[in-house]
Amino acid sequence: MNKGRLLAAGIAVATLLLLVIGTMWPVTSAVAYAGGGQGDLLVAPSTPEAAANDLGTQIRLHAWDKAYSSLANKAEFTQDQFIHDLTGYALSLRTYATLDGFEVQPLHQTANDADMIMKLRWSTVVGTFEDKRNVHATRSGDHWAVNWPIVPEQHVPPQVIPVNYLRWDVITSGSGDDWGAQDVEAPHVRIVDMHPVNRADGVVVMGELLNEDVIPAYVSVRSTLLAKNGSVLDSEGSFDMISHTLLPKQVTPFVIRFPGVDLSDVASIRMQPLSVLVSASADPVIEVLNQQYNAPPGASLTGQLSNQSGQTVNVAHVISSFYDKNGQLIWVAGQYIDRALQPQTPVDFHISVPEDIARNVNTERTVVSTYVLGGSL
Amino acid sequence: MTPPPSVTAGSAFAIPTTGSGKAALYIVGPAQAVRRDVDLGQPASFAAGVLYNAGHYVVLLTGDSVADTAELDVVPAPQPETLGFLAKPSRLPVGTPNGISGAIYIFDAYHNLITKPLPATLELSNASGIVQTRTVTTLNGLAWTEMNSAEKEGTVKFVARVGNISSTRIIDQVPGDPCAITISAAPANGKLLVQTAPVHDCSGNAIPDGTIVTFTETYNNMQTTVDVPLKQGVARVTMPAYKGSKISAASGVVAGNEILWGGGQ
Amino acid sequence: MAAVAIHLPLMLMQLPLKSYDTNFHIFFASHYVHHWFDPWNPKWFAGFSQTTYPPLPQQWVALVSWVCGLNMAYMAVQLAAILLLAIGVYRFSRLWVGPRAASYAALASVFLGNESFLVYSAGQLSTTFAAPIYLNALPFFFDWLRYGKWRSLLKASVLLVAAAAAHHATLIFGSAFFALPVIALVLMESSESESDEKTSVQAVIARTVMLTVLVGAAIAVVLLPYWIGLIRYPITQTPIPHPSRASYILSPQWGLNYFIVPYGALILALPFIVIRGAAVTRLRPLLLGFWVAFLVGLGGTTPVGKVLLGRAFEVLTFERFSYWAALLALPILGLVLVEFIDRFRLKAAIATALLAASTCALAVAWSSIRPADAANFDVASVALWLNRDGHDRFRYVTLGFGSKLSRLAIMTDATSVDGESNSSRMLPELTKFGGAALTSSKYFAKPGLDSLRAMLAHADRYGLKWVIVRDSYYDPLLYFAGWRQVDELDDKTITVWGKDGVPPATPMNASQMPPHWQGVLWGTLPFGFSILALLVIFLPEERTRGFRDDDVSLSREQALNGEVLS
Repeated sequence: MNKGRLLAAGIAVATLLLLVIGTMWPVTSAVAYAGGGQGDLLVAPSTPEAAANDLGTQIRLHAWDKAYSSLANKAEFTQDQFIHDLTGYALSLRTYATLDGFEVQPLHQTANDADMIMKLRWSTVVGTFEDKRNVHATRSGDHWAVNWPIVPEQHVPPQVIPVNYLRWDVITSGSGDDWGAQDVEAPHVRIVDMHPVNRADGVVVMGELLNEDVIPAYVSVRSTLLAKNGSVLDSEGSFDMISHTLLPKQVTPFVIRFPGVDLSDVASIRMQPLSVLVSASADPVIEVLNQQYNAPPGASLTGQLSNQSGQTVNVAHVISSFYDKNGQLIWVAGQYIDRALQPQTPVDFHISVPEDIARNVNTERTVVSTYVLGGSL
Repeated sequence: MTPPPSVTAGSAFAIPTTGSGKAALYIVGPAQAVRRDVDLGQPASFAAGVLYNAGHYVVLLTGDSVADTAELDVVPAPQPETLGFLAKPSRLPVGTPNGISGAIYIFDAYHNLITKPLPATLELSNASGIVQTRTVTTLNGLAWTEMNSAEKEGTVKFVARVGNISSTRIIDQVPGDPCAITISAAPANGKLLVQTAPVHDCSGNAIPDGTIVTFTETYNNMQTTVDVPLKQGVARVTMPAYKGSKISAASGVVAGNEILWGGGQ
Repeated sequence: MAAVAIHLPLMLMQLPLKSYDTNFHIFFASHYVHHWFDPWNPKWFAGFSQTTYPPLPQQWVALVSWVCGLNMAYMAVQLAAILLLAIGVYRFSRLWVGPRAASYAALASVFLGNESFLVYSAGQLSTTFAAPIYLNALPFFFDWLRYGKWRSLLKASVLLVAAAAAHHATLIFGSAFFALPVIALVLMESSESESDEKTSVQAVIARTVMLTVLVGAAIAVVLLPYWIGLIRYPITQTPIPHPSRASYILSPQWGLNYFIVPYGALILALPFIVIRGAAVTRLRPLLLGFWVAFLVGLGGTTPVGKVLLGRAFEVLTFERFSYWAALLALPILGLVLVEFIDRFRLKAAIATALLAASTCALAVAWSSIRPADAANFDVASVALWLNRDGHDRFRYVTLGFGSKLSRLAIMTDATSVDGESNSSRMLPELTKFGGAALTSSKYFAKPGLDSLRAMLAHADRYGLKWVIVRDSYYDPLLYFAGWRQVDELDDKTITVWGKDGVPPATPMNASQMPPHWQGVLWGTLPFGFSILALLVIFLPEERTRGFRDDDVSLSREQALNGEVLS
């Protein structure tokens, strides 16, 4: 063989070899785009973990056909039901969520059966949520397949729910009005509780805000930390850790975080509640059912949300405040509900409480703010 | 040059001059400046409406053969023409002492603040007539007063009057905090229908619909809460029926009674 | 003529406007139109310096826009780059192959899928502008190394600096993929030459060093504001994912996008290119250059890119490596086509024409099949809204606008905290998480959304009052974060959200503002070098160079047998 042919053959072989290496042991970015996290994408599911990993990969890639066909119990439900189980039956945070990552924890395994926990970490526009599923895998020949624990859709019985909800509309003054002409004032709101604490990642200022007016208010709270020399250390807002729409006499907790600031450097805190008069509706009413504080270890507040109205709530945000035995506010935490709240259909929530704070919790209070598609103007 | 010591804003006036030849006359004040070419020996005339901003002015006469300065005060017209009326707040709870404040500013036809003391009347009236009146005298063009909100809810007219000029604002007197919240419970389809009695403030005004009442049911270390808006004066909700559960209600910082559910007994 | 016939109608249709980056380049150009000597642009990132991106093609667009407006100016400059590429490919190919093969190579460049992909889908004006200048510089580079002609040194240097002023990355990587084969060719030719034409290895090395130093120094001066910015503010941001780094086998959808569409029918010719390139001795350096560029251009399909580039692998995008690989393959392809057509005559010509046309058509059509923005919409109503009633006293951010973000920035007076130039941004909320433009944050999953949330949380700091949304996906976040919907535009397809209590925007990032002298430098030297390049190119040549017709006029049999060649 002459040099030219040798070189051509060498290039061809080396290229093929590099392609094989790149496919069998892909670089990190290639693995990410292929939906995996394990780096062994072409390995057949010869173990229960591999079967669960493959399933997670297919879900991540939205390869629903492959994911559904890989299931051992697919005869029990349709592919649409499987997809809706993961993406939600009604428009919700799940609908456009992307699977950020997943984790498979083996629990128990025999020659032909295995139990595992699949923790699916979904990324949504408001943050991440974890979907934990107890999955059972069975062996069929030389490969394993997962039994998917489907959560069936809860049907609301056909009915008519009369709605005579209250609504406030606002007419503001025009630009041609005379000097001194009054406009409708902003709602009167008041911070009824405020408590700063030092945490590992910085200062946390929490409190409660009351709408003491007879009209609804759109509220937010801004907090500025001042050093001993009067200079501003940091200024942050409550962002999404507050219920922004407050009906008359309604109270919302709020949390403002100051990462990287130590409380010992703070001489004073300036609180600036902001309230704006807005059009608002008193519906939907959300009931917080069976709220239970679970003492440490693994302290949490659990319960259910029940939508008492006739319309579907697409996204709900639960914010809970925790008090010690003296009634002092000691913690505020929240959770977005990843499933839509259908009328009269309870949906679980679970809010974790840090262990060091959990020991002092005596009572708690929960508020729910809701987002209904197309109902924000 | 001998200008008058003061002229009324917007009125016609003249400034006599002496000598001969041409000169320029300037009148320079805080918000206005006027220039006139004058023949010395002839008065410089200013028509009505030329000098209309009240204040202290300097008058300058300059020419080839003359340089003179003098001072001139332009004072507001004595006749009020418009009122600036600031009424605060636009909305307040009933029974608030000195809760309503009104400040009036009196202007002439050229929007000069009339600093001469003038009597002003401020009236608070509802549908059935005048309920409160204050008469005050302006000081440096400003007068203000405070009034109490009534015990009964509803809108009132807040009128400021000077001579035959008046300005009106609307004040909304709204119910205060609930005075007492009384709840009752009754079984309904295996659940518990909890509702408040009509909620009033301490003056007997009905708390407006939409006001939130928070119901809390506690049972065996579990809790169910729901924020319910008043509808037609009553807040009503269906809650789980647990025998031995405690149910309470609150609105804002006001708490109501607590009932112990004994399973319908 | 072929380039004009094919690409002029497409340019007149303004097809590149549908690409990812075209509006970005026009936005930069729009700034140069009004502020030629002031590279500080307050419209993006709460203020940034345009010295963070080589300016040449955008400055040309700005200049031409005085005649025909920004859009058509972009088209004119892009068309000029396409025409220049055909010339550059011909001249570069003549180093390696005869005039007929070089002509075929130049003709093939007109139909090159990689070129059309970058022009019509990616909108990479800088890359497609710099590459032809670089290719035109290489023959002078060869002449300088081979014959030591000072005039060639001058021409090569000026052209290389002009290429760097258009796109510095082309020069950096071009040095490896394009210049090294040329140096190898000089050495090979020199060793085979008769004594009077022989050039010693030392002389070649000395001339290479001399040119490198000269060009390096010139680039250091011409792009001085860029280097100063890079030293003061080194790029430390978290790498942003790009699908060109995927494995095209494990992710076939990206293989289609970054391999099948750009290469097109060239894929069929790859075996022949390898065989022919390996058979002809003088083509071997070129073949190796092509091979390495080809492997790197495969992104994450092979480990080569990661191994060769290290951390830079996570920063670079790889469609341009495929482009360079294709350019390197063209001379050999020209030779293959000569033999193919000589052997099969009309059939071969027809087949080649059909395949070339299909390749070009697919790459051109790809911008419509897989558009950068799923929906084409007009941002005029948004610009009008921002420009009225004092709305432009506050900053804004768009969501779901894709590359229309740049179009909007051109049309509005309002300033934004977002932008499309990833290397220009300094705000920590944008650089910390690994998302690209906020307007497309959902496509970057958690990193993108974390970045958006961080920015919204600091809205007061930046005077960010308006969020303009064309994707209701983001509505829940805005609602829960305290924004209220305040208006609807374009038949309710676009919603405007506002936040109460936000103070008006104030000038920011003052420390990053380049001083006036840098602005003068930036407005003078890069453009000046392009003018200089146009002038020196017309200096007469002293003698023919590179491949001469009598060097390797091979018969097909000779080539296939490897006679003479190996």
